[in-house]
Amino acid sequence: MTELTIAFTLNGERREVRVAAHETLLALLRDGLGAIEVKDGCGEGVCGTCTVLLDGEPVSSCLLLAVRAAGRQVTTVRGLAPVGSLSPLQEAFVAHGAAQCGFCTPGMLLTAHAFLQQHPRPTRDDIRRAISGNLCRCTGYAKIIDAIEAASAGAAPPSPSSAGPARRG
Amino acid sequence: MPAAPFDYHAPATVAEALATLNALGDDAKVLAGGQSLVPMLTLRLVRPAAVVDIHGLDELRGVRRDGDTLEIGALVRHRALELGEGPLGSCPLLQEAAGLIGNVRVRAMGTIGGSLAHADPAAEWPAVVRALDGVLVARGPGGERAIPAAEFFTGLLSTSLRPGELLAAVRLPLPAGRAGYAVEEFTRRAGDFAVVAAMAAVELDGGGRASRVRVAVAGAGPAPVRLAAVEKALAGVEPSEQAFRQAVADHKLEIEPDGDVHASADYRRHLTRVLTVRALVRAAARAAKGARA
Amino acid sequence: MAKSPARGGSVAVRPAEELRVVGRPIARHDARDKVQAATLYAADWQMPGMLHGVVLRSVYPSARIRRLDTARAAALPGVAAVLTARDVPHNTLWTDVPGQTSQVGALRARIQVLADRMVRYQGEPVALVAAETLEAAHAALEAIEVEYEPAAGVFDPEEALRPGAPRVHEEGNLLARWHVRCGDADAALERADAVVEHTYRCQFIDHAYLEPECGVAWVDADGVVTIRVATQVIEHFRDVAEVLGLPHNRVRVIGTYVGGGFGGKEDVTVEVFLGLLASRTRRPVRMIWSRQESLLARPKRHPFLLHYRTGASRDGTLVAQKVELLADSGAYAYLSALVLMYATVTAAGPYRIPNATIDARVVYTNNPPTSAMRGFGGMQMVLGYESQMDGLARRLELDPVAIRVRNALRKGDRLPVGQELETHVGVAEAAQRAWAALGPRRAPSAPARRAGRGLACNIQPYGRIVWLHDWASAWVGFEMDGTLVVRSGVPDVGGGQASSLCQIAAEVLGVAVERVAVHIGDSALTPLAGTTTATRQLYMSGNAVLQAAAGLRAQVLPVAAQMLETPLDRVTLRDGGAAGASGRRLEWAAVLKECARLGVSRSYLGVYHAPAGDPVDLDRGGGRIFPDYTFGAHAVEVEVDTETGAVAVVRHVACHDVGRAINPQSVEGQIQGGAVMGLGYGLMEEVVLDRGVNLSTNLASYLIPTSLDVPDVEPLLLESHEGKGPFGARGIGEPPIGPPAAAIANAVEDAIGVRITELPITPERVARALGLLGAPRTGP
Repeated sequence: MTELTIAFTLNGERREVRVAAHETLLALLRDGLGAIEVKDGCGEGVCGTCTVLLDGEPVSSCLLLAVRAAGRQVTTVRGLAPVGSLSPLQEAFVAHGAAQCGFCTPGMLLTAHAFLQQHPRPTRDDIRRAISGNLCRCTGYAKIIDAIEAASAGAAPPSPSSAGPARRG
Repeated sequence: MPAAPFDYHAPATVAEALATLNALGDDAKVLAGGQSLVPMLTLRLVRPAAVVDIHGLDELRGVRRDGDTLEIGALVRHRALELGEGPLGSCPLLQEAAGLIGNVRVRAMGTIGGSLAHADPAAEWPAVVRALDGVLVARGPGGERAIPAAEFFTGLLSTSLRPGELLAAVRLPLPAGRAGYAVEEFTRRAGDFAVVAAMAAVELDGGGRASRVRVAVAGAGPAPVRLAAVEKALAGVEPSEQAFRQAVADHKLEIEPDGDVHASADYRRHLTRVLTVRALVRAAARAAKGARA
Repeated sequence: MAKSPARGGSVAVRPAEELRVVGRPIARHDARDKVQAATLYAADWQMPGMLHGVVLRSVYPSARIRRLDTARAAALPGVAAVLTARDVPHNTLWTDVPGQTSQVGALRARIQVLADRMVRYQGEPVALVAAETLEAAHAALEAIEVEYEPAAGVFDPEEALRPGAPRVHEEGNLLARWHVRCGDADAALERADAVVEHTYRCQFIDHAYLEPECGVAWVDADGVVTIRVATQVIEHFRDVAEVLGLPHNRVRVIGTYVGGGFGGKEDVTVEVFLGLLASRTRRPVRMIWSRQESLLARPKRHPFLLHYRTGASRDGTLVAQKVELLADSGAYAYLSALVLMYATVTAAGPYRIPNATIDARVVYTNNPPTSAMRGFGGMQMVLGYESQMDGLARRLELDPVAIRVRNALRKGDRLPVGQELETHVGVAEAAQRAWAALGPRRAPSAPARRAGRGLACNIQPYGRIVWLHDWASAWVGFEMDGTLVVRSGVPDVGGGQASSLCQIAAEVLGVAVERVAVHIGDSALTPLAGTTTATRQLYMSGNAVLQAAAGLRAQVLPVAAQMLETPLDRVTLRDGGAAGASGRRLEWAAVLKECARLGVSRSYLGVYHAPAGDPVDLDRGGGRIFPDYTFGAHAVEVEVDTETGAVAVVRHVACHDVGRAINPQSVEGQIQGGAVMGLGYGLMEEVVLDRGVNLSTNLASYLIPTSLDVPDVEPLLLESHEGKGPFGARGIGEPPIGPPAAAIANAVEDAIGVRITELPITPERVARALGLLGAPRTGP
């Protein structure tokens, strides 16, 4: 077994950790660094819930050995906006009902974010294709595409109050 | 589940990588993009004692066009091929095939060399390389070997790479005259492995007849197959949908499909015919439009 | 037999114009949390000293366990516990129609917690391990020595019924049967002008929620075994207590926000295993099932063999429906008898049928067990009855919409089981609206393609069987500053279960929805609300919250009236306070202070009792089974590639009478999500089994739709205002999954003239039906 010390940036913050070579980035993030915003849905790179951005590109963190993050910038959904605030894309998801159970949401947001960076004015079909690697079992995708479309148009969220009631659970 | 622990090596040069592989012997796996190997590790389908991560071998990332040969380093990612910048754009078949591979995440990490060395019968790159009569460049203890694609893919998930050898690059000859390419892939869902895929390359002579037709099929046997009889029948023929249909209907297809949960052997055979015709039609149309290598 | 006292019924409904919050597509509070990943799902919970639990599962579908030796495993470093059947205090888990306390005879079923002498399906749990690390746990799994002696098995329901078939259980393979009879179907079929007869088949499928099964358990400072788990049923604390031999009040289940349920987290998943391991080790234990494990071993949807004979007169009026159903329960009963009942009650479809005979059976096999999945038997029937309707339409040369409208049930009609429909029945309207919404026919997009359209209507119950005397409770209370708290045991599985309750409470008490905090899903701390299943929560918990909020309102209103010096009936509650006739206003904080001074309670516990009934004989013209039903119709337009057989759905309109949409955006989301799940069922999903060996154990081979595989489903909401839920709402969680597969089958026939009677409608099946593959043969 090999252990290595690696340094990388997580959501803009430098991290230095000791990892076993056989550990995946997903396991390091969730279990080692408490980044539970990255989900584990299949371990096969198919579902997309483990998506993180590696130097801005979406990758399956379940298929990446942690050591490969060395020297790279890793972004999770918590890197999309300062703590406590939402990016326009996140606001659009809330306003358009794009999150039901929410489990696909972090991966979906990162994928959409990276896509919109490259394609600021996509058609609906472009969006549909862009998220085709992220599975959702709850929404049927329509409202997710609505939200991404709205965000790309720079539209203000249509629905009134978005603060929502506080909840603990 | 967590992978079984292994010793990890990350050589900085090809020479170092080869020496490491040589020293480790059989029980070592080469890690490139990881999209095939890592799930096998975490599902514990393989438990190598060592993993040699070749990610640091920048020598294997080169892309070079030398006259009529395009050389692509093994570590070039699907994503780069999909974008087709620089010399990679000289073979449009690469862009079309790359766009069909997996999903955006697979394309960000996966490499052409990894895919070729893994030799999944349903994968796109082995069939593309077969269609274009590519040459696989291996480097090993004995030096460099240039292996024609026809000899490289030996069976299900098998290649003629020798122990201790690394796939370093693939060389694709580029046609001189008017050429057109097309991929017709049948999948159960977008981004899935092909059930069957047909890669077609059609070259036209000055009179608009097919000077050379090549078709390779993925998913219809343990390794990609060239439809030699169909190709021969179409040489010198005026390309038309009817001609393609006739050739496919009249000639034996050298495929040996297996049935599985995704498709029966019969259905794969049927798909091969349908997709071959469709690929040839599109490739011929592109060649006619003057698409140039 | 004494009649159960009538209770409940719908709570007073306000006219639509007066509603401020209900009926508006407000953003859900949990959506805000989820886009920031602030929601802590069950697998996100970590505790100091936490162990990792894993399950050893049988590799054979049918085998005796000759030897099971855990000594080597237990001795490995880092292993805290290895448990087998003999370590389980009471090794029986009862499925007692989850969450209920009343027994309902044949619906009670049992399963072993851990297999002792026999394993009956591939993946059946045999042993448990808890270890310091996941690696140590897996090492221990591999070190457990098991010797199996493979035994004969049976893998097909028809075979299971033949004499001499291997017995899965001692009592024989027939698990349950139901009959419904009304009129004389045989005689009516003899006389009918047209009879259409077909056999249909539908397949095993998996829930494939994105969040795998998981939870964390610990023993708290008071010795209460606490299990924080992704579940649709927090009442399983009782099951854990029974297995552990603990008093019920010493087990607590905390239900997290669930990453998808769909019935797959309705039965016990990790709860009992976690309870065992936490009790044994006295340390926190986390268990997360892998996707592959979940696909292998979790209960699936019931496959059915459906045989239909449907008769009509020349003008298309249905005269008879004769149905035989055979379902596969897999190796254990779970909820099979109940699923079968839903199928039996809905098998005739949403139509007036004077003569009907429905015979339904479910049998054991050594296939994976089958249990609850969205639609619960009712959805599988749609393929049968809607294919039949199209068959009759073709035979009689009638328009598919017209024949359905002619026969559609109406308020006041009776189902074959004898139940009178007391609320508005929107089938005819849904069929017309959905079909019309498709607009003019379009030309196919390529030469080899044929376009076609199909319609399918459906009936799906909401609310539980009335014999179960269902109830739900909720607590609503004011804090001194005028903010509101709702406490409900309701599990939230992503359908906005919690946020709907906030909307309702906010509506009744005139507070802004942002000023409502909701606490859900804790069996020790929140009033129990029953299961998030059976499309019952909006109906039941919605009414419970409505009742609690109304009760609270009735308590505090007199105080406000007195302070405002205004008659009671002139007080209005809005904008965070109370206003009198003169226009004078008071903030809630002021009113609540006065309540405190006067000793008037600022909270109210509502308990909603659904209309109850006694068990009836289904085949003696039974009577009332379910509180109510939701009706709808989907219309799809498809393109069939006539060379490959591939079917693409290019338009999908889904119309349902939802009674009242408490949150229209949530309702649309349920319809779109349910419809797409139905499309997956119709086109691509299948758990492929080879004599009990599961071949679909990874997500690469178990195919669920991606965004490119489905169109934007267009939801059409009808609001009849006559549902039994709060403000006239009807349940909508399950209904949308029913029609799509049948609509596609109908559309494919419209496109290429071939009737596919087996699901999923794969390209290969269509190619074969088109004669493209030579001689027909069975198999994949």
